Amino acid sequence: MDDNNKIIEARNACAMGAAKFLNYSTHRTKTPLIRKNGELVEATIDEAIEKVAQILVDAHYPILYGWSNTSCEAQRVGVELAEEVGGVLDNTSTVCHGPSILGVQSVGLSSATLGQMRHRADLIIYWASNPWDAHPRHPERYTMFSDGRFEKSSWTNYLSKLRGEMSKKKIQRASNLVLKKDFCFAPCQEEGLPYSMYTKKRRTIVVDVRKTRTADAADCFLQVEPGKDYELLQALRVLVNDGELDVDEVAGIPVETLEDLTDVMVGCKLGILFFGLGLTMSKGKHRNIDAAISLTRDLNNRTKFLIMPMRGHYNVTGADIVSTWQTGYPFAVDLSNGYPRYNPGETSAVDILCRDEADATLVIASDPVAHFPRAASKNIAKHPLIAIDPEVTPTTMLADVILPPAFAGIEAEGTAYRMDHVPLPLKKVVEPPEGFLSDKEILQRILQKVRELKRDMN
Amino acid sequence: MTELIIKNGLVYDPLNRINGEKMDICIRDGKIVEAVKDKANVVDASGMVVMPGGIDIHSHIAGGEVDSARLLRPEDHVKDVEVKTALTRSGVGYSLPSTFTTGYRYSKMGYTTVMNPSMAPLQARHTHEELSDTPMIDKATYPLLGDWWFSLEHIRDGLIKENAAHIAWMLKATRGYAIKLVNPGGLEAWGFGRNVHSIDDPVPNFGITPREIIRGLCKVNTLLNLPHTIHLHTNNLGQPGNYVTALESMKCVEDLAREDRPVMHITHIQFCAFKGENWGNLSSGAEEISNYINNHSHVTLDMGQVVFSDTTTLTADGPFQYGLYHLTGNKWVNHDVETETSGGIVPFTYKRSSAVHATQWSIALEIALLIKDPWKILMTTDHPNGGPFTSYPKIMAWLISKGAREKVLSKINKRARKKSLLPSIDRELSLYELAVVTRAGQAKALGLKQKGHLGVGADADIAVYNINPERTDPAKKFVAARKAFNRAAYTIKSGQIVVKDGEIVKPIFGKTYWVDVKTSMPQDVNDDIKKKFREYWTVEYENYPIREGFLHAPAPVTVKAEV
Amino acid sequence: MITLIPKRVFKFPIEGKNISPDVFAKKSAKQIAALEIWEGNRKVSIGDLFDIKVDSSSSEEATIKIEGNVGTVRNIGAGMSMGQVIVDGDVGMHLGEEMKGGSIIVSGNAGSWAGSQMKDGTIEIKGNAGDYIGAAYRGSTKGMNGGKIIIHGNAGHEVGCFMRKGVIKILGDVGIFAGIHMNNGTIFVQGASQGRAGAQMTNGKIVLAGHSEDVMPTFTIEDIKAKVKVDGEKIEGPFYRFTGDLADNGKGKLYVSKTKNPYLNSYEKYL
Repeated sequence: MDDNNKIIEARNACAMGAAKFLNYSTHRTKTPLIRKNGELVEATIDEAIEKVAQILVDAHYPILYGWSNTSCEAQRVGVELAEEVGGVLDNTSTVCHGPSILGVQSVGLSSATLGQMRHRADLIIYWASNPWDAHPRHPERYTMFSDGRFEKSSWTNYLSKLRGEMSKKKIQRASNLVLKKDFCFAPCQEEGLPYSMYTKKRRTIVVDVRKTRTADAADCFLQVEPGKDYELLQALRVLVNDGELDVDEVAGIPVETLEDLTDVMVGCKLGILFFGLGLTMSKGKHRNIDAAISLTRDLNNRTKFLIMPMRGHYNVTGADIVSTWQTGYPFAVDLSNGYPRYNPGETSAVDILCRDEADATLVIASDPVAHFPRAASKNIAKHPLIAIDPEVTPTTMLADVILPPAFAGIEAEGTAYRMDHVPLPLKKVVEPPEGFLSDKEILQRILQKVRELKRDMN
Repeated sequence: MTELIIKNGLVYDPLNRINGEKMDICIRDGKIVEAVKDKANVVDASGMVVMPGGIDIHSHIAGGEVDSARLLRPEDHVKDVEVKTALTRSGVGYSLPSTFTTGYRYSKMGYTTVMNPSMAPLQARHTHEELSDTPMIDKATYPLLGDWWFSLEHIRDGLIKENAAHIAWMLKATRGYAIKLVNPGGLEAWGFGRNVHSIDDPVPNFGITPREIIRGLCKVNTLLNLPHTIHLHTNNLGQPGNYVTALESMKCVEDLAREDRPVMHITHIQFCAFKGENWGNLSSGAEEISNYINNHSHVTLDMGQVVFSDTTTLTADGPFQYGLYHLTGNKWVNHDVETETSGGIVPFTYKRSSAVHATQWSIALEIALLIKDPWKILMTTDHPNGGPFTSYPKIMAWLISKGAREKVLSKINKRARKKSLLPSIDRELSLYELAVVTRAGQAKALGLKQKGHLGVGADADIAVYNINPERTDPAKKFVAARKAFNRAAYTIKSGQIVVKDGEIVKPIFGKTYWVDVKTSMPQDVNDDIKKKFREYWTVEYENYPIREGFLHAPAPVTVKAEV
Repeated sequence: MITLIPKRVFKFPIEGKNISPDVFAKKSAKQIAALEIWEGNRKVSIGDLFDIKVDSSSSEEATIKIEGNVGTVRNIGAGMSMGQVIVDGDVGMHLGEEMKGGSIIVSGNAGSWAGSQMKDGTIEIKGNAGDYIGAAYRGSTKGMNGGKIIIHGNAGHEVGCFMRKGVIKILGDVGIFAGIHMNNGTIFVQGASQGRAGAQMTNGKIVLAGHSEDVMPTFTIEDIKAKVKVDGEKIEGPFYRFTGDLADNGKGKLYVSKTKNPYLNSYEKYL
């Protein structure tokens, strides 16, 4: 940081992390705002809180949504507030890894903390996930390029592969120029899997509908027909259990290749399957995850195999965990009848909004208007909307009350959970500007006001 | 100054040898005192039993594993809900209650202290966050240290003193209370999908045996002067014939016993007392176990009683839980924690009609009744593994009443009934002995000096039950006894009336106990751990230990170590 | 007969599990009006939301008739064990959930989770129904365990999820995953199936008499059957008969119409 308390460098951060620390303050909202006659007008924090509390107390079926980009301390108050106002508590899992949770609830999950993969995994599968772009530190810290107690990094393999490819390109170009003819090496898609898959070193496979940059760095890439992951996963299960298939190819991949893949999976020391939104959001949704988890469970009959969802928002895992310990359910929790009820599809924010059943929405630490289906966003706008967000977003642009908080993890401390459920402390690195409260303090004030208003009504 | 007097109750206070005496208990500012002034609040306990508040030495109520189990099982919660009231938060039960519901339900039964027995050190923050959202009770938690790489390496290299210093660091870093071992060595083997099968089976990649781990940590415990002994979940849990492993585990620390004090606690002994070669000829090893305990004083046990109901098994014993998945075909969660431990969750239903389950039901009761000294065998269900903690009143009835046991016996699987020793056991625990196994004995084993008794200076944690042994024989009227234990007439916590007639009247939050070990060279340990941190873990050194201010009501117990 | 007429359009979810013949039995109109019902987060009474008429010819088992759209009213007939519920309009989610007897008939459409965890009785929907018909609750493996559901229109996804016993008949089309995780029972679809029928099933019978988008690659062909029995009735084929789901060691039987699915003749080489 420099002398003006401004952050000028973020070490050890990936591009996304650095951007967050360096630019957080550039476009922030400076004061609470209340919409009056269609225009957002500056207000004091007390005025804004009063208005928020009134909206929530009047509502017959409010939604309290978001939660994934703030601390557990704030999330805990959030549950209490949702209970107090008899609303629906939902977080971004509902549009992201909610299906993974449904899959887990159906069949379980064989997993571990990320260090187990770093230490022990000799086979890494990224399925419908592209960490090179979405989780840049992942391969370096936990998988392909990390060093563990029992497994070494495959960085040198990757470099050899790159060198090999560059040589091939040079020779190809030279031959085109000098010999004036096309010299092609045998197509890289040879029959069966690449030789490196059969070595004892750490190997990586990418399964995806298109060749991503992670796929380029991996030892092997399998292209799957879009919308056919479920069939592929189920077929692999049959092969892992030594069964036979009546068909010649599944999801565009020949069954022989699948048999080779099965041999590699069954023959590894410890395998890990990471999966992303490509599985949770394509045809089949939670059943894709059900099948993936079942596959890794079946593989445990033959060797040690783990699976993990690649979660996006930095504390969506925390939001699920906090909600679960306080209400018993991870997301889509309906507290309107005085006790927790859970039924995604019925009690989930997007579905409630599409059916236009909610009459008020409080959004915190997320931007649903940008990410929800249009029908849902349209209906959010029809009713009072409260946004607790430090920045200007499509959601805040439609809001009736905006409460800008201190940035969690920069200006406010707390706890957050990594994708593998390891809790980590969020540090306060700079002081928030005068008058800015943390999410937790804002929510506590709203809760207090709500209780006052309810007492006055009785 | 808040003063309270509990008048005319029949007091059972085994640590002070009080056995059903009619006396008053005086309270001021959360502690029991000699006397109070006239204007003290009065609780009329005439015709009622007064005991110290219940203490549970082993109940999985908080942390990563418990929460993953809650998430796994929405179907467990949907039938058992708690509606929000003016005083209490809403929640859900049944075998995996949400945190507020957990605290309220314990308190309604007169319980005031609960120990969460399994905490992965890397996820300690999670356990403490949940404990701080668990109202009404005092609590503590045990970090899992039996497969910690530092433990395995130090013990293998004979560096007991170094290990002791590191464990002292760990207890502070995780705000833990005791050294927990689960299937020692087996969890590290499970990192690659393997297990250990006896206490002399070497741990792959480390060249050390479970016997050495148990002995090493037992010595560490003594060097550190910890209030509790090592807390052991044995190898081979749940395997037919495993009573042999339990006995070997007990024998392997015989020579480390000091005077007559225990040096080891084996938990949920029922799951380790199986005789037989397979599920077909499973029988009870209760006689062998009880015989050993009757002749030795260096081990304490807790029951791990099974209750016939749907429940959830969750333990740090990854390989055992995987085995359960195979046995039942139920959904299975596995969670290995780098450098430290593992864990698994599988829903499970105990059925009266199953010969195996019925035998399991009988085993824990046999052990509790065959062991002559109640201070050596404490009441638990290993919640939720044997059954939900809300079944404690039922179990208390089985312990004090042969009639209650016979009622259940008449309905269980015939083969199990024939093999059970219970028909030949007439013993019924007296209320005094019941107070030992549910309170006094628990406090003593845990080294919690101000709990589990009603002498002057004790914490004012008291349960008053509406049952009058002078008028009704609880052994005969066991249904009434069970109802009395289920809904305490009064629960007093830290000197405040928090439950009346089984309902919460004052929501409060208790304290979290942990052991602050003072060693001679703490900085050297810090440096050693810091050096190896990046190699072993995937978090930064400074993010690992829990810092000052994180626990909302910490109650450190300071001890001076011999290192 | 007890008639309920909604007083207005209900904008918020209505929690209506007290609207059940078991609850209404032997109650007067006044008593029924006082029964609890939730409108969003407000606890109100049935009388606040409905006009109630009780006609004097009361029998032992109540018949409830609802005249009007109750598409936002959930849990009607939940857990009922006797009597009849007639809905003249659309009805909301969880219709007849966990019912143990009696019958429900709906002239319009039904929401999702109709007949979920049903144990006995009949549900008949003249219009369309949503997803998860006859299914288990999240996390549970215990779906419908008896009784009969008939849907004249279309149904959505995951019909009969974790079904254990009973019959579901869809005369229109179904979405994907009909019979997913099925453990036993019978599902019959007259119209089209969007695919993946019988996924992860371990036993039971699914009959697709219309066009199916696909057959899971983890099903194996057994033979061709001229007809198949569904709920005592003989349905004319011919049908390709498959066994699956092999990934789950399943012995379920999947019958797929041969005439409506000519692309499946590539399987004939295995016969």
